[in-house]
Amino acid sequence: MGPRSKAPYLMVAPFVLLFVAFFVYPLVNAFVLSLQGRLAGQDQFVGLNNYVTALGDQAFWGSLGTVFAFAIVQAVTALLLGLVMALLLDSSLVRGSAFFRLTNFMPFAVPGVIATIMWGFLYSPQLNPLLQVLAPLNGGKQVNLLAGGNLVLLIANIVTWSAAGYFMTLYFSALTALPREMYEAAKLDGCNEFQLAIRVKVPALRPMILFTAILSVIGAMQLFNEPFLLHNLANVSASYTPNLYAYNQAFTYGNLNYAATLSFILALVTLVVSVVFFFVTSGESRRERRELRASRRASRPAPTPAASVAPRGV
Amino acid sequence: MTTTEGASLADGKAAAGIPGARRQGDAVAVSPARGRRRPRIASVVATLIMAILAAYFLLPLVWLLLAATKSTSDLFGSGAFTLAHFQLFQNIAELSTYNSGYFWSWYGNSVIYSGATALGSTLICALAGYALAKYRFRGQRIISTSIICSLVVPAAALAVPTFLLLTKVGLVNSYVGVILPGLPNAFGAYFLYTYIREAMPEELIDAGRVDGAGDWRIFFRIALPIIQPGVVTYLLISFIASWNNFFLPLLVLNDPSKFPLTLGLNNWLSLTSAASALGQPPYSQLVTGSLLSVLPMLVLFPLFRKQIAAGMATGSVK
Repeated sequence: MGPRSKAPYLMVAPFVLLFVAFFVYPLVNAFVLSLQGRLAGQDQFVGLNNYVTALGDQAFWGSLGTVFAFAIVQAVTALLLGLVMALLLDSSLVRGSAFFRLTNFMPFAVPGVIATIMWGFLYSPQLNPLLQVLAPLNGGKQVNLLAGGNLVLLIANIVTWSAAGYFMTLYFSALTALPREMYEAAKLDGCNEFQLAIRVKVPALRPMILFTAILSVIGAMQLFNEPFLLHNLANVSASYTPNLYAYNQAFTYGNLNYAATLSFILALVTLVVSVVFFFVTSGESRRERRELRASRRASRPAPTPAASVAPRGV
Repeated sequence: MTTTEGASLADGKAAAGIPGARRQGDAVAVSPARGRRRPRIASVVATLIMAILAAYFLLPLVWLLLAATKSTSDLFGSGAFTLAHFQLFQNIAELSTYNSGYFWSWYGNSVIYSGATALGSTLICALAGYALAKYRFRGQRIISTSIICSLVVPAAALAVPTFLLLTKVGLVNSYVGVILPGLPNAFGAYFLYTYIREAMPEELIDAGRVDGAGDWRIFFRIALPIIQPGVVTYLLISFIASWNNFFLPLLVLNDPSKFPLTLGLNNWLSLTSAASALGQPPYSQLVTGSLLSVLPMLVLFPLFRKQIAAGMATGSVK
């Protein structure tokens, strides 16, 4: 084999060149842009001025608050729903599990834009008769979901509808990969299906749950498509989410430098949130795993459960 | 302990069409009567919960299917889950001529964007993944570290500079401008790198070398057939992701004739709120157009579900 072969360089070259052009360069350029301001028709260095402006910008803080609220609501519902479905499917209690594995995962293939249009129409009272049925409960007034202040919940529902089946699929695959001896041991100890799910399967899924939680939170903080589309049907402010705000700053108001600054801060906040989240929860899971090991030593030797799904550094 | 094995094992079981194969098999082996002794009420409750959840996931799609067969007045006048006068084909005909007949160009554009992005991205990511997994060379560490680090950088952070870059090189409003930035996908390179590392035995590469095959011949003739499952999985994931893409085309395009479906339907949605020059708000066109744009995905999805699921599980757990 030729260790001095040119082949590996040529093989990575297309990826690396495009990666530099469309990732590294824009990233560096975003930072450079954020340090500049448009003065007298020219880009000039203004230091951290844009950052100072952003830190005092209530609209930006408001948009961050919105995505944090959204991230919590959305991540919790989608993860719980996915987890419950995967555990049910794995319990062998459910008839027709192959059918459900398909149907509940299906919304994943529906583009977010289409999902938003679809749900947007279902939220409007003219198109959804279920909402007309609810009218008497609302004092005879028409129930218009889109008019209320519950936009976070409406969007969380759209994203959960798309994502829950994806989480179900991930959890179910991980459960199927677990060593079956674990279940036999637990059953010998007198565990029923429910206890088995709560005491054995959920702890074993921990790394996967953690991974999907980080994924959800990162995704939630980038929220853009759904509010961007829904503003056609409902009252969505131009600074509803950080990305929507940055987009409008750039392409509605032409403040490219300020938009780059907002995006850069959002990227940093996202990074910090996911790192903190990772350390907090992995610290917890380390402790749990230690306890699990201890309790296993006390009962009977069993093959390592968590190891088979342990992430090799997320 | 490779999760690749775990995932393909799960996949194999699913492929055999035996739901919960492992547990049922055990029950038979351990005590044949066990299945019958299990409380039936628990089974009914569990199946019922799943059925209710399935309704949540399916009913919006059923609504879309039914709504696409209705006239605009029936869309508002008839029940959401009832059939009214069936005029799906008339709706499709109207859709085809509405707004200068853009709909089918958008359809074609989506096919071009997704096809080119998926094929191109798969090729360059597979080559890069293979080189990183199976060679030792200078700069390797920097490349793999950058790829991993880039996974946590949200794409939106790059929106403005990407737009400026494409403007500078004259690619705004062009097909290439939409396709090119989507090719160097860090997730793809990372996924294929980990997959190839596990799935491609070194011995076969050495054997190829002994037979006098060059590096490229080994990649295309020996490695590619072996790593094909992972490559196809990424191809599918990449195609779906590009088909669903909205943000990048939104930045790059303003000529409606070059829009993909997602951008086009967004345009029509904006006509429902604004007083439109095109007459009546295009509710029926939106609903029918939405159905037609998810249809290929929904038809193909059952065929590829296992592959996508196995690939995602592998890619995510590393």
